[in-house]
Amino acid sequence: MLQREPIAPGVFLNTIPADKFNRCRISLHFRFPASREKATDQALLPLVLERGYSACPDMTQLSRKLARLYGAALTVETSMQGADRVLSVSITGIKDQYALSGENLTAEYAAIAFGVAFAPYFENGLFSKEAVEIEKATLARQLESEVNDKRLYCVRQARRKFFGDSPAGVERDGYLANLPAVTPETLTAAYWQILKTAQLDIICLGADAEAVRHAALEKLAAVERQPAPLAGYLFMPARPAQHFREEMDLVQAKLCMMFTWDQCVDPAQLNAFRLAMSVFGGSTTSRLFLNVREKQSLCYYCGSRFVSPTAFMMVDSGVEPANADRAEAAILKELQDLVDGPITPEELENSRRSLLSGLSSVGDSLAGLENWYYTEILRGGQVHTPEQAAEDLNRVTAEDVRRILAGFSHSVSYLVTKKEEPTHAE
Amino acid sequence: MQNDPMQAVRAAVACERVVLENGLTVLVRPMPGYSGVHAIYGTKFGSIDLDFKVDGQQVSLPAGVAHFLEHKMFESEDGDAFAKFAKTGAAANAYTSFDKTCYLFTATQQVDESLDILLSMVNEPYFTKATIDKEQGIIGQEIKMYDDSPDWRLMTALFSCLYHAHPIRNDIAGTVESIAQITPEMLYACCKGFYNPGNMVLAVAGNITTQQVLDACKRAKLPAHKAVVERVQPEEPLTVAKPRMEFSMQLAKPCLGVGFKEVPVQGAKAEIICDMLTELICGGMTSFYRTLYDQGLVNPGFGGEFLVLDGCCCFLFTGETSQPEQVRTMLLEEIQRLRREGVDEEIFTLCKNQTYGEMLQDLENIEDSATALAGSFFRGRALTEEIEALASVTKEEVDQALQTMLQPDRSATVIIWPKEEGEA
Repeated sequence: MLQREPIAPGVFLNTIPADKFNRCRISLHFRFPASREKATDQALLPLVLERGYSACPDMTQLSRKLARLYGAALTVETSMQGADRVLSVSITGIKDQYALSGENLTAEYAAIAFGVAFAPYFENGLFSKEAVEIEKATLARQLESEVNDKRLYCVRQARRKFFGDSPAGVERDGYLANLPAVTPETLTAAYWQILKTAQLDIICLGADAEAVRHAALEKLAAVERQPAPLAGYLFMPARPAQHFREEMDLVQAKLCMMFTWDQCVDPAQLNAFRLAMSVFGGSTTSRLFLNVREKQSLCYYCGSRFVSPTAFMMVDSGVEPANADRAEAAILKELQDLVDGPITPEELENSRRSLLSGLSSVGDSLAGLENWYYTEILRGGQVHTPEQAAEDLNRVTAEDVRRILAGFSHSVSYLVTKKEEPTHAE
Repeated sequence: MQNDPMQAVRAAVACERVVLENGLTVLVRPMPGYSGVHAIYGTKFGSIDLDFKVDGQQVSLPAGVAHFLEHKMFESEDGDAFAKFAKTGAAANAYTSFDKTCYLFTATQQVDESLDILLSMVNEPYFTKATIDKEQGIIGQEIKMYDDSPDWRLMTALFSCLYHAHPIRNDIAGTVESIAQITPEMLYACCKGFYNPGNMVLAVAGNITTQQVLDACKRAKLPAHKAVVERVQPEEPLTVAKPRMEFSMQLAKPCLGVGFKEVPVQGAKAEIICDMLTELICGGMTSFYRTLYDQGLVNPGFGGEFLVLDGCCCFLFTGETSQPEQVRTMLLEEIQRLRREGVDEEIFTLCKNQTYGEMLQDLENIEDSATALAGSFFRGRALTEEIEALASVTKEEVDQALQTMLQPDRSATVIIWPKEEGEA
């Protein structure tokens, strides 16, 4: 069970018992409103921070330091949570009992994680110009290579059409066109703003919580904290469905459909959403898997996913180019059948069992525990345990599932498909 | 190495091993405090097993049969295995690699029932022409999905350049044409040869006891026969089939693959040395990687891997780069430099440390633990042997390996270029 306590303005120390694991983990999650103007700076920041920090400025030396700590894994990354962005610094490594020379590993993990987050390597008060230029080039290559993964590309294009100018549509990885304007000055300013205004959740799994608290308070003492309000969750209004088609050289077409729930999600309904997704397209007993993939052989993969911070459902699928229209019609029909027709007790209970099993095993991995509890924290309000969620899930009825699915409205279909061959000479 | 941590490590890798009378190897790792159970039922039968003799009868398969069979095993006369697992709440799946096929589930409740389903699904095969025809459509779509993946295309192209005849040249799933040749008789022959208990492992980790697993084996009434399978791999010279291949796809940046063909190595220590070599040549700790990265020549995903299978052994270095020729030349020069000067002593020690941590990491979760147990069966050695082998590796042995391995005259290069506008 999570222990959560405020230790400074907008800063919380969250401790999760993790005695049974071979490794421990310390994470720092900085959460702040996403901004289109600063998106590229904020996307570049993890790449520059991960290169090193004041006590170990060199990227190669940091790699070697982590290897010396038996391959401890340091990650610095950013993600979007509705209209907020999260910058996360995490370190995972084996526990002290496995150290071959009796090293105090957890103290070293804390020093690295807090060093990276609070004491980056600066030259004359700014991020190193060389590091910024190198990582700008790396980010540019990543942005340019988006098309290499056709499935991901299609999903991202669909999201772009779905969110338009909404703050929830800010690009996690920033904008290629804005990269030239990023400088050590803009990046350093973006960094200080995050340090000063973000809500910070420190999550400690199996590491010495007192050592982590001490490190946190020591670093925070040097920061003038002014936590800013978060953007919170939102939804996209319903609108007539729009269809987009893009042709390229590929073998299997990708179809991504976006549906809005047309209102913000009430946390009390979360388990009904979970069950609805499992019945519709989130499991191997779902309608999409059994009917669209197995019976009609229209897709190789076809699954649904609900994203609660922005209240939308996404169905993505890999289809034969010639079958794309039929696949879309079949997906919509399955949704409508669940809304209008019977939901059998068998399919409902199969899905419920599968979800209950997943909830029971949340505590079986460090990642599972952290994801669960940080998602609960992000949602705001009371933090639920997986056991509480399981109790609530047991109360969800077929009618609840139907009501959830009836609330979805189709907004966008994005198809990435094969170039059409000319059928005759003009 | 101190005593105490090694005792902790031995406890972390401990498992119970029983070989049943019918030949099935059962490996169990009870993990106190965990809620779930992960079970893997695996056979030493993968995509490279195309020619074999079972009980004296010669069988030749088209490419993709092991993977096809994996799909078909989910069907039986009394229904689909996914539907049966749905009744227990277990999440089930399966995968086929070059040399094995594994069926697995994760469950937190009705574990005994899930074990019964797992053990019965591959022991009661059921194939008809109609069900085979239907599966060909689904697998055909899976093959097409991989056709769009540059990473996959790069790897399969490297194998077809490195090898003249070894079945690793084929895609694991085969081709639409090869799977069209599959018959029920072929599938039954594979079951007889490879899905017999002597060729299989049941690896289970989590909230379970060995007795529970053994009871499930008893209930399953596994076949007692021990078919004699003799794999036949074609003659494969040490030369490469084709030193270079280039083609284009819809990409933003070119992809480079450089492969090296090796004499197959044997034993934990030799494999660990080869794994370490990829890290010592171009891992994140090396100055060479740093040069490539800082000059913008590669993306963070650039790296090397090592593969050893029956009759096949190779190193592959792959990644995205805007300058494939330059990166290839630099890689070959770096290998030559290390051969001449020896690997860096500090990085070698750090590499051992890192590998040790990774081994412990692989025993942390129920999924990873069961996978590590099954892997130890497939490799034919216990996990403790691997940790002990790691501790005994010396820099001199790594330098020695470099004298014969990673030779330019046994290398092949594949480049995938971005397709230009209007290019067919």
